[in-house]
Amino acid sequence: MNSLLEVQGISVSFDGFRAINNLSFVIGCPEMRAVIGPNGAGKTTFMDIVTGKTRPDTGSVRWGETGRSLLALSEAEIAQVGVGRKFQRPTVFEDQSVWDNLRVSLKKPRGPIAALFDRVTEADRARIDEIAAEIGLSDHLDRPAGILSHGQKQWLEIGMLLAQDPRLLLVDEPAAGMTTEEREHTTALLKRLAQSHAVVVVEHDMEFVRRLECRVTVLHEGSVLAEGSLDHVMADERVIEVYLGR
Amino acid sequence: MERSIFARNPSVPIFIGVLTLLALGVTVMSEAYGTGAISVSFTKVLGMTLCLCLAALAMDLVWGYCGILSLGHFAFFGLGGYGIGMWLMTARTEDVVRANLMGGVIPPTEAEVSDATAAQIFSVVGATDWPWMWAASGSLVLSLLLVVLVPGVLALVFGWLAFRSRVTGVYLSILTQAMTLALSLYLFQNDTGLRGNNGLSGLQNIPGLDTVGQDRISIWFFWASAAALGLAYVGAVWLVSGKFGNIIRGIRDDEQRVRFLGYRVEAYKLFVFTLSGVICGIAGALYYPQAGIVNPDEIAPIASIYLAVWVAIGGRGRLYGAVIGAAAVSLLSTYFTGGRAPDIDLGIYTIEWVDWWPVLLGLGFVLVTLFAPKGLGGLVDYIVRKDRA
Repeated sequence: MNSLLEVQGISVSFDGFRAINNLSFVIGCPEMRAVIGPNGAGKTTFMDIVTGKTRPDTGSVRWGETGRSLLALSEAEIAQVGVGRKFQRPTVFEDQSVWDNLRVSLKKPRGPIAALFDRVTEADRARIDEIAAEIGLSDHLDRPAGILSHGQKQWLEIGMLLAQDPRLLLVDEPAAGMTTEEREHTTALLKRLAQSHAVVVVEHDMEFVRRLECRVTVLHEGSVLAEGSLDHVMADERVIEVYLGR
Repeated sequence: MERSIFARNPSVPIFIGVLTLLALGVTVMSEAYGTGAISVSFTKVLGMTLCLCLAALAMDLVWGYCGILSLGHFAFFGLGGYGIGMWLMTARTEDVVRANLMGGVIPPTEAEVSDATAAQIFSVVGATDWPWMWAASGSLVLSLLLVVLVPGVLALVFGWLAFRSRVTGVYLSILTQAMTLALSLYLFQNDTGLRGNNGLSGLQNIPGLDTVGQDRISIWFFWASAAALGLAYVGAVWLVSGKFGNIIRGIRDDEQRVRFLGYRVEAYKLFVFTLSGVICGIAGALYYPQAGIVNPDEIAPIASIYLAVWVAIGGRGRLYGAVIGAAAVSLLSTYFTGGRAPDIDLGIYTIEWVDWWPVLLGLGFVLVTLFAPKGLGGLVDYIVRKDRA
């Protein structure tokens, strides 16, 4: 297993507040990793840095076999090299149909001219149908995404992530607002993806994390507090202290 | 799901149909080719209105679809007018000068004609030489190129600087206002080579068409304006109905999300902004020969704000809405401010519509915002849906 993403000693401050403090993180491909931590531990900021939304003050973010630095790239370029992100609050294009949402996400050339002359091929159509079946939205393809339920929007966003076909998936609270059955489906889907992709899941729900059966990284105050199996980290004195208070 | 763009967009055949009927109707009632029920000056008003609709269409692309509230698009419109105006004025003045000089014993040399033409055009600002920016004014083809290139390059450079720095929302609107204000103030100066506040005039006289009356020229321009609007409408519908349209609407609603999908938002914004600038330039080039004069006042900041008001009243994000809004509001404006509306004498106070028109427009804007938030075009949607149900 080679490392796909190597984050080394990054720190970032907002107005004097250290959101990320000398954080290092490595994930290989294929691999599944859960990131947990109390509110304000820096989980979302960490994702912001990897996806290029926030620039760290210090440290390095390296990508792939060549160890290319992601820090010099724009958000769009980072997405193009293969980093996909699902947001905590489902963000889909509410004005547009489910089908259109999936179509713009499909892995195809991203330039304006290519988009102008883009034709929907049989392969595209088949891929969209396949994803729609996977996310349970086959019957809703023509409906505007805005009228979907919260859970369905979550699914649609996961579908958009699948359509993008990234190598690394950053998934922020995928199970929020989902029923028990949907959670199980999500777990199964993420596990399947993790057989060929790198998947980082940020989650609050410990039961959900347990079902992912993967390595867990615990963040606290912007640094890694503990790393290992869920049982291992939950047995850690410091983790208990952070989670349960002293 | 992949049907022809006409089947997916029933507004296209309807729009083209209405435009064709309008063109036929106006022709049949024109002085040159029909009953004469529509005067030459009103034909020009109608043709100019179509040009304003074209500008509104461009505004809707950039604002209604891509979410960039530009309050400077009339700068592009005015530049289109200046571009074609330089050729119209040069060629026309040259004809006049040549005719005058022909009276002499020795035929005038080209240099004499050129000098005399320049003297004629620029005497009003106390100059006699050709300014550098008139270099292309001798050639129609080059001037037409200027009509497209000057607004296009200005939009490209301005857009590149603004979008690259991620200036958005109200800050961008303010910058575009500053752009059009700066351009307007620049053109007001006498030594810029574009005749200062006199602007370019006599543009209704088309060189080489001296023997053709304004009655026919006005109809020709009306046709050309209608054709340009029709073409642009079809093009704009094509642009927004494909994947490109999905992406720019995505940028309007959540540009960060579009970035994380791997699209370079700035490139898309720049594309739409520049394209709409070019469309505005073409609209201006068709408008000012009908208006007869273009001066720096035309690109004062308020003009671009009106353009946004038309689109807002017509309904953003639906191309026919922009056209309906521009047509309705600018025709009403002509009616009330052109002295056509009879003043109302209330005894103690006389309502003079010229003064009250802005109030009326403001009220209309408020009413539309309150009762038809999707604009007049949204009303059309509402009626069509109701019929179907």
